[in-house]
Amino acid sequence: MSPLLAVEDLSVSFVRGGLLNRLINPFPLPGFNVIDGVTLSLMPGETLGLVGESGSGKTTLARTILGLVKAAAGRIVFEGSDIATPADFRAMRRRSAMMFQDPVASLSPRLRIGTLLTEPQVIQRVPMPDRRAAAKALLALVGLPASFVDRFPHELSGGQARRVGVARALAMKPRLLLADEPTAGLDVSVQGDVLNLIGELKRELGFAAMIVTHNLAMIRHVSDRLAIMYLGRLVETGPTQAVFSAPLHPYTATLIQSEPIPDPRRRSHNPAVTGEIPSVFRRPQGCEFHTRCPVAQGRCRTEAPAYRPMGAGRMVRCHFPLETGGQEGELTRFHKSKGKLT
Amino acid sequence: MSGSLSATGLSVRYETPHGAVHALRHVDIEAHPGEVIGIVGESGCGKSTLVTALANLLPANARVEGSIRYKGVDLAKLDAHRQRLLRGDEIALVSQDPMTAFNPVLTIGDQLLDFQHHRKDLGRGEKRARIAAMLGRVGIADAERRMHSYPHELSGGMRQRVAIAAALLTDPGLLIADEPTTALDVTMEAQIIHLLRELRRDYNGIIIVVSHHLGVIAELCDRVYVMYAGEVVEGGEVDAIFHDARHPYTQALLACDPARFHERLDRLPTIPGSLPSLTQPPLGCVYAPRCDRVFAPCASIAPPLVNLAAAHVARCHAVTP
Ligand SMILES: Nc1ncnc2c1ncn2[C@@H]1O[C@H](COP(=O)(O)OP(=O)(O)O)[C@@H](O)[C@H]1O
Ligand SMILES: Nc1ncnc2c1ncn2[C@@H]1O[C@H](COP(=O)(O)OP(=O)(O)O)[C@@H](O)[C@H]1O
Ligand code: SF4
Ligand code: SF4
Ligand SMILES: [Mg+2]
Ligand SMILES: [Mg+2]
Repeated sequence: MSPLLAVEDLSVSFVRGGLLNRLINPFPLPGFNVIDGVTLSLMPGETLGLVGESGSGKTTLARTILGLVKAAAGRIVFEGSDIATPADFRAMRRRSAMMFQDPVASLSPRLRIGTLLTEPQVIQRVPMPDRRAAAKALLALVGLPASFVDRFPHELSGGQARRVGVARALAMKPRLLLADEPTAGLDVSVQGDVLNLIGELKRELGFAAMIVTHNLAMIRHVSDRLAIMYLGRLVETGPTQAVFSAPLHPYTATLIQSEPIPDPRRRSHNPAVTGEIPSVFRRPQGCEFHTRCPVAQGRCRTEAPAYRPMGAGRMVRCHFPLETGGQEGELTRFHKSKGKLT
Repeated sequence: MSGSLSATGLSVRYETPHGAVHALRHVDIEAHPGEVIGIVGESGCGKSTLVTALANLLPANARVEGSIRYKGVDLAKLDAHRQRLLRGDEIALVSQDPMTAFNPVLTIGDQLLDFQHHRKDLGRGEKRARIAAMLGRVGIADAERRMHSYPHELSGGMRQRVAIAAALLTDPGLLIADEPTTALDVTMEAQIIHLLRELRRDYNGIIIVVSHHLGVIAELCDRVYVMYAGEVVEGGEVDAIFHDARHPYTQALLACDPARFHERLDRLPTIPGSLPSLTQPPLGCVYAPRCDRVFAPCASIAPPLVNLAAAHVARCHAVTP
């Protein structure tokens, strides 16, 4: 099977200081890469989790894939064709959808839900004999009452707004859904609801999804594969279960170990990592994680590790990957010892 | 006990143009020096209202009933001036977004000086030395340089550390942290949890941690109150709450946390239904519309707080000691 989406060596560069700086400064500061050499692929129907701390470039990557941010270098292949021109991106956007981070803010406050839901079809000039009926069908698809067509976005709860976000994203029957932090700010009892809905619709409609998140506990249950990002570069990719039970990259391991454990009998004693994520303006030399890496060695400070395959569909960017089954997370150890808790 | 805090029958309603919002109803809690108390529940359940009432910082449209006693004094009976004094030096509240606690145009150092206005015995130099020591204690390495920074120059994690330092500089007997890690990434969250845990070793007052995140509560607290729709529905030792939860809502909330499941779940657990209106709270049990164990009396009779074991209480008709 060939991938639905393939991204090769994609880089995105922002100019530091913005437009004004460029106008007044005869020697503009060099651009800096927010996304740097990202290669990943998504099979039809697959769910990929894109994980990383805030500022790591997740949103920028998702927007670049859809052509909303211009790439500085690299290649995007969708359904077997190169996507290069604005017309290519428009065609691709008709077959894909993005769910934005803050659904209420991304919905125009003065438009009713019915209008908002059918806006994508109108923009894409899809013939629609009865707009109201089409909106009601979409509401039904995501389990909301038909009467919501006349409501305004601010009249919805957080969970309902996400459902509208899902309905709007799926209005065009996409092959690809990019969901940016689809459950950020939602309570756990509602988060499951939104993710179950996406999962059900995926099975029914068969689209592939890339879920952007920093919520590890959640992504473990809803993704087939994981891509871990640090400072705009992928540091590890692999099947979700394998990555969780034996992370190869020390950064992945520290993320998993940092997750608080909901069991007072299993308190973690030391933070897995100290210090903060460096700025993309000042990327560290050598391995970019060496300033925080608990197992860094001399070589890491000078020589950048290559992104290399490790077998079993896994890739890692580290000179000294953690041994399989060696350094597993406290969270994993907790689960191994207790299994399922209820 | 001398430094203890207790709230009895505490209710808060907000007057709004659409009617009164009964955000907190007949809440009883207590906390003793040396304890870390957790307040957990989903958004809108009244966590911030509760701790804001304890810190005596509620907005003007709030109406309070019941009593709050701290160090043997009924806070409601103090005049405005003494309430202000008490709040400044005795009770410190660190909020989710520490940016709101700082003045954007003053340096961190100048603001931290202000937090020590009660220490009339100290000169400016001594106060600055105290700030440097406190910043070091909350894990800010280059304290001297940071004192010259403005709030926007600090990262979210750093601002949260400075906010905790500012709170501690007031020598509070009660330190309240309202969602202290919610705005932070998981690696920074782990560091703040570690910091709070280190601090309690040589802090003799009460710490109250508010969070919607069960993991944060489990990592930090000795005793926990679980809130739902404006009420405390269960309270107990942290171990009892996480391993012997008795209230149907506590059980459902725990069951929804995906962090508790190692094997991939095909469906994530949820709590069907939605929160009741706080303008017209249900007559009987607040959880009745969503409870899977609801029976005859639940819809019409408000359940009492049942004592289950030492320090373990639940507000439910279906629980027995
Ligand atoms: N339009 C822009 N101009 C300049 N810098 C930007 C722009 N958008 C994002 N950035 C920077 O790019 C980096 C990645 O941001 P983002 O993609 O939003 O990360 P994430 O979604 O992982 O939090 C951040 O350092 C951010 O400040
Ligand atoms: N100033 C206010 N005026 C009116 N209603 C308010 C006010 N502050 C909070 N509320 C309402 O009170 C309820 C409890 O809010 P809050 O204490 O902030 O909950 P939590 O901190 O648990 O999310 C919510 O329904 C909220 O909308
Ligand atoms: S290359 Fe070195 S510093 Fe980088 S992650 Fe691997 S061990 Fe750590
Ligand atoms: S009182 Fe009744 S409705 Fe309320 S939690 Fe108990 S069993 Fe459920
Ligand atoms: Mg983002
Ligand atoms: Mg709150």
